[in-house]
Formats: sequence, C-alpha cells, structure tokens
Amino acid sequence: MTALSRRHLLGAAMAGAALPWNAAQAQAAMTAAVYPGGWDEALRAVLAPRLREAHNINVAFEPLFAVDQIAKARAARGNPPFDVFVLDPGPRVSGIDLGLFEAFDPTKLSNRAQLPNGYSDAHGAAVAAQVVGIAYNPTKVAKPKGWADLFKPEYASKLGLTGFQTTFGTISLIEMAEVFGGSETNVEPLFAELRKIKDQVAAVAAPAAMPGLFQQGQIDLMYTNTYTVTLLRSRGVNIDFAVPETGAAAFVTTMHIAKGSRNLDSAYKYIDTMISQPVQTTLAAEPFFFVPVNTGVTPGADVPMRSISEITNFVSHDWTKINPLRAQWIARFNREMAR
Amino acid sequence: MHRFTGADRALALLILALAGVGFLILVGPVVVVLVTSFTSSRALQFPPPGFTLQWYRDLFDAERSAQIHVAAGNSLLVAVLTAVVATSLSTAAALAIARSRATWSKVAEGAFMAPLVLPGIAFGLAALMFFSWLRQPPSLALLVAGHAMIAAPFALRTVGASAAGLDPALLESSAALGAGPWRTFRRVTLPLIMPGVAAGAFLAFVSSLDNVPVSLFLSSAQTDMLPIRLWGMMETALDVRVAAASGVLVALAFVLLLAMDRAVGLARRMSG
Amino acid sequence: MAEGGIWRLALPLAVAQMLFFAAPLLLLAATSVATDENLRDWSLRAWRDTLGDGFHIESVLNTLRLGALTVLATALLAVPLALVHLVAGPALRRVILIAAVLPLLTSVVVRTFAWIVILGREGVINATLIGMGVVTAPVPLLQTEHGLIIALTQIEMPLMLLPLLAALARIDPALLDASASLGGSLARTLWKVVLPMALPGLIAGATLVFASASTAFISQGVIGGGRLNYLPALVWQNAMVVFDWPLAAAMAITLMGSVLMVAGALSLLGQRASHA
Repeated sequence: MTALSRRHLLGAAMAGAALPWNAAQAQAAMTAAVYPGGWDEALRAVLAPRLREAHNINVAFEPLFAVDQIAKARAARGNPPFDVFVLDPGPRVSGIDLGLFEAFDPTKLSNRAQLPNGYSDAHGAAVAAQVVGIAYNPTKVAKPKGWADLFKPEYASKLGLTGFQTTFGTISLIEMAEVFGGSETNVEPLFAELRKIKDQVAAVAAPAAMPGLFQQGQIDLMYTNTYTVTLLRSRGVNIDFAVPETGAAAFVTTMHIAKGSRNLDSAYKYIDTMISQPVQTTLAAEPFFFVPVNTGVTPGADVPMRSISEITNFVSHDWTKINPLRAQWIARFNREMAR
Repeated sequence: MHRFTGADRALALLILALAGVGFLILVGPVVVVLVTSFTSSRALQFPPPGFTLQWYRDLFDAERSAQIHVAAGNSLLVAVLTAVVATSLSTAAALAIARSRATWSKVAEGAFMAPLVLPGIAFGLAALMFFSWLRQPPSLALLVAGHAMIAAPFALRTVGASAAGLDPALLESSAALGAGPWRTFRRVTLPLIMPGVAAGAFLAFVSSLDNVPVSLFLSSAQTDMLPIRLWGMMETALDVRVAAASGVLVALAFVLLLAMDRAVGLARRMSG
Repeated sequence: MAEGGIWRLALPLAVAQMLFFAAPLLLLAATSVATDENLRDWSLRAWRDTLGDGFHIESVLNTLRLGALTVLATALLAVPLALVHLVAGPALRRVILIAAVLPLLTSVVVRTFAWIVILGREGVINATLIGMGVVTAPVPLLQTEHGLIIALTQIEMPLMLLPLLAALARIDPALLDASASLGGSLARTLWKVVLPMALPGLIAGATLVFASASTAFISQGVIGGGRLNYLPALVWQNAMVVFDWPLAAAMAITLMGSVLMVAGALSLLGQRASHA
C-alpha cells in the first residue's frame, strides 16, 4: 500500500499539483464504482473536477461492471469497497433485494426538481437514460423495420445474439417475445422462434465481444443502446440505430449509496453534481454521448427524443417482475442455444 | 546428424513442416495486433485503411492516458511482486518434491496444482468472502497473495521439470566436498535448474499481468489494474490504444530478452 | 540436506496455500452445501442441480474434451518446434524463443480481437481460402469448437513449449551426434535419446495446458460463443448474474475436481517417467 500511495504522491507532485499536504487535509474523500470504459473516462474527466471545485471532494473511481459491483459488495458483507453504485435496472433490483443500499433521501439533492417525476426514490436517483433498439451496418443490410425482421433469413444470418445476462439484452429479448405473442413474464414464444434460427445466426456471444464482431463484419446486426451506436460511429464504424416499429425501449441507469458507507454526505453531493445541468450537458455532447436525465438538457441527435420528458412514451419494463424469472431464462437460453 | 536416409529425410521434413505451422500460429495473431496498433482508423480495424503512430503517442500522453499509466504501474508492481513470491516459494517446493521419493510428494504436487484449475472467478469471489470475514479490506498485499496463488503452479511445474533430471550424486558430492546446503544450492543446483526457474518466473509474471478475474475482486480504487481498464476500453469503443499497449509490451519483452541474452552470454564468457 | 528433512523446503508454499487458497476454498465448499452465502442453513440442492442434470454433466465433459484436444494440438506443434530449437543455431534459437513467449505478451482482451480478425467470416483465413479458390463461401470457424481449439493452441502453446525447451536444454548436442554417428536413424535417436529427456517437460506442459485451456473463460466465451457450453461460463453466470452462489460454488468445485484428476494422472505419469 505504502509503495502505491508514495507513487501517487510523487505523480501528483510531478504533475505540478501544488501543496498536496494542505489540500489533502481540507478535502473530503470518497470512492465511487463506475463502469469501465466510456463511463470511467467521462466521469473522471467531467464529474471529478466539478466535484472538487464545487464541494472540495476528492473522488476515487473503481471501474466495475454492474454485476461485479453487486457481487463485490455482497462478498464484502457490510464493508462496502465503494460508497456509490452505478447500476442498470436488473442489478438495481438485485441490490435492493440483497439490502446493499442505504435508504436514500431525495430531498438532499438540490437538483432534484430537474429530474422527471419518479427519477429519484427511496433507493437512489437516475443519472442517465438508455434507449435500446437495433443497430445495423447500413453498408451491408437494409434498415430493419422491427424486431421480427431479425428472424428473417437474410437478417438472421448476419445477427449477433446475446442472452439475458445484461439489462439491454434482456429488454431486447422481451421485446422480441412480445412481437411473437409473449409478454414481460412469458418469453416462451421467443424460444420457439430462436430454435428455428439458432444454426443460421452469425454469432451468439458475450456483449463484450459484439463491437469487435460488428467492426470485422462477422455480424451486421445486433441489439444495443444509442450510446454504443453513437460512440462507435464517432470512431468511424459503419453503424446506425433503427427504432423498431413497436418503439424503442428505454430504461435508466441509477446511482445508489452503499450500505455502511462512511461518506454519506460526500456521496449525496456526488450524485447531486452528477445530475446537475452543467455536468449533464457536457456528458451529453461529444465525445461522451450520454443520454441525459436532466430535463434542462437536450439529448444528442441519435436519441429519438428531444427531451427526457418524452421518455414516458417509450416502452418500459417492470424489473421487479422480470428479475425473479431471469435465472431460469438464462439457464434456458444456454440450453436452447447449445449445438 | 549426417547420413540421412530417405525415411530420416521424410521425418525431418514433417518435423520442419509442423514446426512451421506452430511458428505461424504463435506469431500470426500477434502480427495482427501489432499491425492493427498502427491503424489510421479511429477504432480497431483490420486490415488498417492506413498507418499512423498516433495511438502510441496517445498511449504515452501523460494527460489523456494518465489513468492507463497509473493502472500499468500498479499491474507491473503487482506482477513483479507476484513473480518473486511465487517463484521462490515454488522453487523450494519443487526441489523438495523432485528429491523425495516418498508418497507425500506426489500428493503434495497434486495439491499444489489446485489453484490453477479452480475458475478464477470462483477463487476471487471466495478469497474476497474469506478476507472480508477476517475484516481485511482489499489491499496490495492481498492482491499479490491472490495472484501468487494462481501463479505458483506455473513455477512449480517448470522448475519441477528441470529439477526432475537433477543427478542426486552431484549434490551429494558437493556436500561431501564440504559445501553447506545454501552453497550447494547456489553453486550447483540453481545453475542446473535455472532454465526452469526463469521460465517459471516469466510465466508467473505474465499470468499476473494479464489476470482479470482475481483482480476484479481483490483490487480496489487504489489498485486500478491494467487488464480491467483495457477490457473497458475495448468493449465500449474498440479503442486502438488497447492494441498499442500490447505493442509496447512486445517491444519491452524484446529488449528484456536481448538484455538477458547479453547477460547470460557475458556470464558464460566470464566463467569460461 | 538429508532425505528426511527435505520436506521442510515445501513448507513455505504449503503454509501460503493453506492461508490464501485452501481457506477460501473451504469457504467455497461450505457455500456449496448451504442455502445461501451466509451459511445459515444446509442443503444439497446445489450439488443435485450440478451432478443430477444432464446438461451440466455434458458441459463438464465438453470442458474436459476441450482441454484434452488443446493438449494434443499444442503438443503436436510444440514438440517439432522444440526439436528445431534443439539443433538450430543461436539466431534461430532466439527467434523461436521470442515466438514462444509472444502470445503471453498480448493481453487477453486484444487477443480476442485478433482471433475475430483471423477466424471471422470475412477474416484472414477465409479471405485466403476464397482467394485461392479452395472454397467459394466462407467456412465457419469462429464460434465452432475447432476454431476455438485453433485459438487456444496459440494462447496455450507457451505453457507447453517453455517447459519443453527447459527440459531439452539439458540434452548435450554431442549426444545426438554420437547417436547419429553410431548409425542410429533419426527416428531412433528421437525415440531413445530425446523423448526420455523431453518427457518431464512434455508432461509438465500438458498439465499446464490442460488446466489453463479448460478454465480459459474469456476465450471460450468470445471465440467459442454461446452455442458451445463450458463450465467456466456457467460458474460466471451463476456467481455474477443469477447470484446463486451455492450453485456457482458446486460447479467450480466440480470443474476443479475433474481437471485435478486428469492433472494428477499426468503428474503420476511424469513421476514414473522421471524415475524410470
């Protein structure tokens, strides 16, 4: 530990950060989990400096995917390794069920009025939205009209499938199930259709593999969120977003305070700064491309809405019903897809 | 190997051909990564539409890649400590196993291999549960301990393979000539098993450097690790710096191997 | 040191493994027979689900077969490479050594991308085959078992090659010349002189490759894909997504047990070979 902190201090001194000793004493410190990759870069670049300026709080980030945050907090039993979670709806419900969050008091957020109704509650607050639909390569395939198109031979042979292990994957598969007559709690019709195309589909892989498979032409269609589409296109990948005829599905990414956190005050200020208009405005623009939740911020061009208040028109799902079923869906997906 | 008969020649050709395929398989993917690291496209793409050094410049940029540098520093430190710890523990154990004919040594060898075959995710999870139960928060020491557990079997196996051929008579004669155990180890045993020790240390080092599952659970905000950072960069944005990072590692290894070559060559000349 | 006291050299590693590996493993074993990770109540449900389910048993067998095939493939290519290394001049030796460690130097993250490039539908192999007129339509390689074995062969080859080179380093080249000048055929020299010396390295390599390939979770997932089922992915899913830790623990221990049995058999072979 000493070697690391010494190196950090050295690094800080070399970078010209003046008087680390005095500053360190007055500063409050906290730790926040953050998704690795784009989120990590964005929050370090935008949120951390703002938090230091406005509240003199130094935040350290721990890059972890949502499921890893839950597993890690759960294994640590009451000694949370970080003060703030950032989660999608599936892991969020798991976290609530497992009692991993402090009771949340939305009135402590000064920017609460700028969130749509219901975006802050007794568990946490929404900090970004995600809009899920179909991503396709416009140079290789015609724009698909809806979820059912993916099951036609000309599309299926270019499709990349992911299972129920992520929130966006689960939502997309439920949307497909509904097109074939199923519902939020009945995905049986989907499995019947998947069985017919499973040998044709170009790839069944982990979500992490999808961008690479897409860029190299193994797949030309996948389901994902607008954030990924915009980010990849900004890097020169041939990719466009198609809103399915049944509508794009939307959900929110939320932040929660870890049970047993010793930096409650800083944690609230962290979340409050995250939803503030200046931070949300910067995060919504290039190169970060977040979908903002602050009603005063206009979403980017790829997002099929002009203000977050329109999000109520989007397809939404009840995760308290989905989560108990997900374990069996995941097991079922493995078996259905097996060669 | 003169006086080749026809059958010999056919066999030699077959060996050469297989070695060629082996070489291609070893090198091909690395060449793909290296070529990709010079791409002028803004995301990982092969074949590259053009070439640029931009991604290496970006990777070394103190500001834009600051967090990558911190993570690389952490990962290197942990990997070096892991290699030292795992190799010394394993070398001692491998010598004991190689020189004992007792049944315990076979059992012990099997047991010592166990960490290699427990899925990393399960080990990371169990280790975090256990240390939390002991009220030990994740720390650099625990991270190294976790990595060393996974790395030790590599060193045990490679040192064991070298030590298996040790001639006990040689060690006995050294002892008979009045050399103490430590002197015998340094002057007789170590030089003989050095290829195995070096291979083991190297494997321990790289297994730690590239470890994702154990780091996931035992690292903290203060010990941000490189592979986890690279994973995020790759997954969300096909960031070309991920390929450039591999390019740097390959270049470093080249330099290291050449330096080792020099050192060994020099030592040989001095002793000879 | 006398034969009687030699065991003390193994003590430090044994103590370290007790503390940092065996103790967590014990906790894992306890979790596998509990109703949840707080160990409040006992249940054999996780073990019934693991061993009483045909799909899970099949995944265990798939995993072991993958390990075994990867061992065969790496040995088939590593032994000839090691032989060439044995008789090569210093420059070629250096090239082979560098090639042997190269796969270890590219992070697993970007390696998966390289294999998409090589094995993909529009990848290097298919482009070459189509260009040469061998096939007219792309051959599926990515997301197949043989594609996965090709990729694992590269990834795991250093684990076979390095112990093999270390073992063969002890061969005196004069010995080969002697065997050849005494009229031994190449095959006979290899069989009688080289193989016995190579065997400990070969077996050490086989153990490492088998263990590593059967738990190579990321490569299995990305290159093999979701239509092939291996145990590590199921462990991950149950631990990280479903949060069924008892089931994840039971599966992890099953995988460990079955791989250890194979590794143990290989190790016994190695001991017999080295004492022969």
